[in-house]
Amino acid sequence: MSEHAVTININGVERTDSVPARLTLADFLRERLDLTATHLACEHGVCGVCTVLVDGETARACLLLTVQADGSEVTTLEGLTEGDELGPIEQAFWAKHGMQCGFCTPGFVLTIAEMLDDNPNPTREEIVEGLGGNLCRCTGYVKIIEAVEEAVSLRGGGA
Amino acid sequence: MSLFGASIRRKEDPRLLRGDGRYLSDIKRHGMVHAVFVRSPHAHALIRGIDSSAATADPRVVCVFTANDLPAGLPPLPCIDAEETTKPFNQPILAADKVRFVGEPVALLVVEGDRYIAEDIAALVDVDYEPLPAVATAEAAMAPDAPLVHFESNVVDVLEYSLGDAPAALAAAPHTLSERFVTQRYAGTPLETRGVIVEWDEARRGLTMWSSTQVPHSLKATLVGYLGLPENSVRVIAPDVGGAFGVKLQPYPEEIVLGLAAAQVGRPIKWVEDRYEHFLASTHGREQYHDVEVGYDDDGRILAIHDHAVTNTGAYLQRLTLVEPFIGVSMLSGPYNIEHQQLVSTVVMTNTTPLNPFRGVGHVQAAFTMERIVDLVAAAVGVDPGEVRRRNMFSADVFPLHRGIGNVLAGDIIYDSGDYQECLSRALAAAEWDDFRREQESARADGRHLGIGIGFFVEETGLGPYESGRVRVEPSGQVIVFTGACSSGQGHDTVLAQITADELGVDFDDVVVVHGDTDLVASGVGTYASRSAPIGGTAVRNAAGSIKEQAIRIAAEMLEASPQDLELVDGEVRVKGSPASSVSLAQVAGRVAPGQPLPEGVDNYTLDATDIYHPPTNTFSYGCHIATVEVDVDTGVVTLLRHVVVNDSGALINPLLVDGQVQGGVALGIGGALLEEIAYGEDGQPLNANFMDYLVPAIGNMPEMMVEHMIVPTPLNADGMKGAGEGGAVGAPAAIANAVADALLSLGAKITETPLGPETVYRALQDAS
Repeated sequence: MSEHAVTININGVERTDSVPARLTLADFLRERLDLTATHLACEHGVCGVCTVLVDGETARACLLLTVQADGSEVTTLEGLTEGDELGPIEQAFWAKHGMQCGFCTPGFVLTIAEMLDDNPNPTREEIVEGLGGNLCRCTGYVKIIEAVEEAVSLRGGGA
Repeated sequence: MSLFGASIRRKEDPRLLRGDGRYLSDIKRHGMVHAVFVRSPHAHALIRGIDSSAATADPRVVCVFTANDLPAGLPPLPCIDAEETTKPFNQPILAADKVRFVGEPVALLVVEGDRYIAEDIAALVDVDYEPLPAVATAEAAMAPDAPLVHFESNVVDVLEYSLGDAPAALAAAPHTLSERFVTQRYAGTPLETRGVIVEWDEARRGLTMWSSTQVPHSLKATLVGYLGLPENSVRVIAPDVGGAFGVKLQPYPEEIVLGLAAAQVGRPIKWVEDRYEHFLASTHGREQYHDVEVGYDDDGRILAIHDHAVTNTGAYLQRLTLVEPFIGVSMLSGPYNIEHQQLVSTVVMTNTTPLNPFRGVGHVQAAFTMERIVDLVAAAVGVDPGEVRRRNMFSADVFPLHRGIGNVLAGDIIYDSGDYQECLSRALAAAEWDDFRREQESARADGRHLGIGIGFFVEETGLGPYESGRVRVEPSGQVIVFTGACSSGQGHDTVLAQITADELGVDFDDVVVVHGDTDLVASGVGTYASRSAPIGGTAVRNAAGSIKEQAIRIAAEMLEASPQDLELVDGEVRVKGSPASSVSLAQVAGRVAPGQPLPEGVDNYTLDATDIYHPPTNTFSYGCHIATVEVDVDTGVVTLLRHVVVNDSGALINPLLVDGQVQGGVALGIGGALLEEIAYGEDGQPLNANFMDYLVPAIGNMPEMMVEHMIVPTPLNADGMKGAGEGGAVGAPAAIANAVADALLSLGAKITETPLGPETVYRALQDAS
């Protein structure tokens, strides 16, 4: 298996490594860097659990090879938190019980982060549309929608 | 404010939201090697031989384990709910000479490196199979010339229950109707798959196993048996578990094999199931059809029922496989008073993945079958479905109600408490039934087909045999709660802290909950069957109650008062009527910290109490779901509009979390009603073992949801809790199927099976026209 040098800015820190061509970004994050908040659930791009931001846009870390992320900026859930301080989306998940087992939560939080950056005040329909690619098996999504609405208001959006 | 009953935020969440969750696959151990399982690609085949020489030639291979490498005479996986009549078709730890379903483990391969390399090398293990004819459905398996999964017959057991004289009552009934109702095979599919890490400690001759399990203590007991080690040499840790739903409630062969391999390998071994493996090798649920005949009168009173249920339990009996066939018939009549019942449940083996309980086991099929029947009766006599239910339901003055129908594991079925009529009334009001009927009528004038349906269920919850609770107060004032219940997302850390803080009057933030580690929690059972609040919670309540008594006894000396003059309020023991005279619980704990003489009349150091709570019998939660739908008759697509639930799971520790349980259960029920089906070809090959083809509900599938709680406390435990984890999943398919049938009533479409995907609905419409 051929090795390739990669340099990726992950959560603001430049990382250089040599990786096999087939190593997924998810496994690079989890196995090489111990950034284990990026979880794997279907491993073929369906469930959204492994969602990270690559250059500010959501991407499935299970489908992306590490070499494809060379030169990019990658943000994981760990990158949204400074110290013990939770960001507004995470606070909203806590306040509204938007999570149960927590396994899908990182993917939701990052998807919502992108959504609210693009559209700080989404309608309920836009929230449902925006989260259509993320599966949760615990919550029935009701409180995730409420969490997004709470996050909008915590971020100072909303009318 | 009392903490019991308060909708407070969870203790668990900040850690998980920072990315600091520790799920099984997040754990790394020094020197860890990686495992994969070689699994059968055949539904049914003889194993002629296994040649692993090409694999073992690779220097990165640490070991290959086949059935031949296991200790001789290793018993198969136990089934603990078998009856004397049940044939012992149990799963071997690794297949030896025959495989019986696609995905059955045949060999374990352990390699140095990572999972990628392990999978590369696993492809080199050459298993010589001689394929045999396979059978995938119960009907095919019961045919006279069917291939035999085991020997003599594919029928493992036939269970029978009866009440009154159903044959005579059916013969005498003014009207009868017969129908077959089919519930498909589907599964819990937690987003985190199973996974195991084992580590052998040669110095202490002991094993530590981390496993994504609901039942660490059961797993430990199983390992102790298989490994022949003393109890203190086996430690099982369930780390954060990313959903379970019953799929992780039994010890699996992979855990046994890895446990056996650990000492030989001498290094930590990690195995994480991938999604494809999960669909093949983690247990499925449901697949059951009911052939029913009911007798009823002109008023829609159901007089007698005969039901023959047939369950496809897959290739082997797992730990609790028979619960699906038992409950599917014994809970059939749910809230209804049906005097004459004859219930037969046939258990059939096929070359498919084994069944074991998951969220709503048996009750889902029972509620779907019964609630469809009630609607058919209602339509036949021309009476409103709500009214027909009211005429058949038990009244609120019958409890405790001995149903007179047996049920293995739980003993007799005795409904503890409730008010079914009230629950129905509240649900009809919340769903605005009459208004919807008007809306439906005007939509029909526009060519649109709206429907409304009721799904009422009664559900056995709070299953025994017991759970442990231990409460310990440290001299700092910290209160530590140890529970044998094991969370997979339910929020045990929060609700058990609420009960403890409520009992002791201490600050919620001063309570921490420890679970999921057999070295830290001496005894326990685990989390399933909606039991952690009623059973685990009661154990914690009792243990905290003993702490209270102990604290008052100790404080009596400190305050120079008599115990009967003292009370524990706001975390302080104080003299009644003289609150200035008080000591804090922390000071009390300090008074009995070791290293000093004990107060007179006090026997034990440390403020510590354990309760093992055995419930006298089960609780029975219930609820009424009402779904409204729109059906596109050109495409068969069902769109959910609104879903109302009125649920009685007794007293609520934290209504916010119970709402979450119900909503999540409804989502799973929606999956079962409309989307999810594990499909096999006739040859036993799985057809959709991935999340692209197996559809679990996404956010866009969800209707507007409304959950109301009705609280009729059970007399069976002090707080009146009945268990809330599963009901959402039970009522939803029945309500949705009835709503679809209602939408299509005038078109004559028969709705008798789930999932109600577009093709099924379209076919029902075609058959009717």
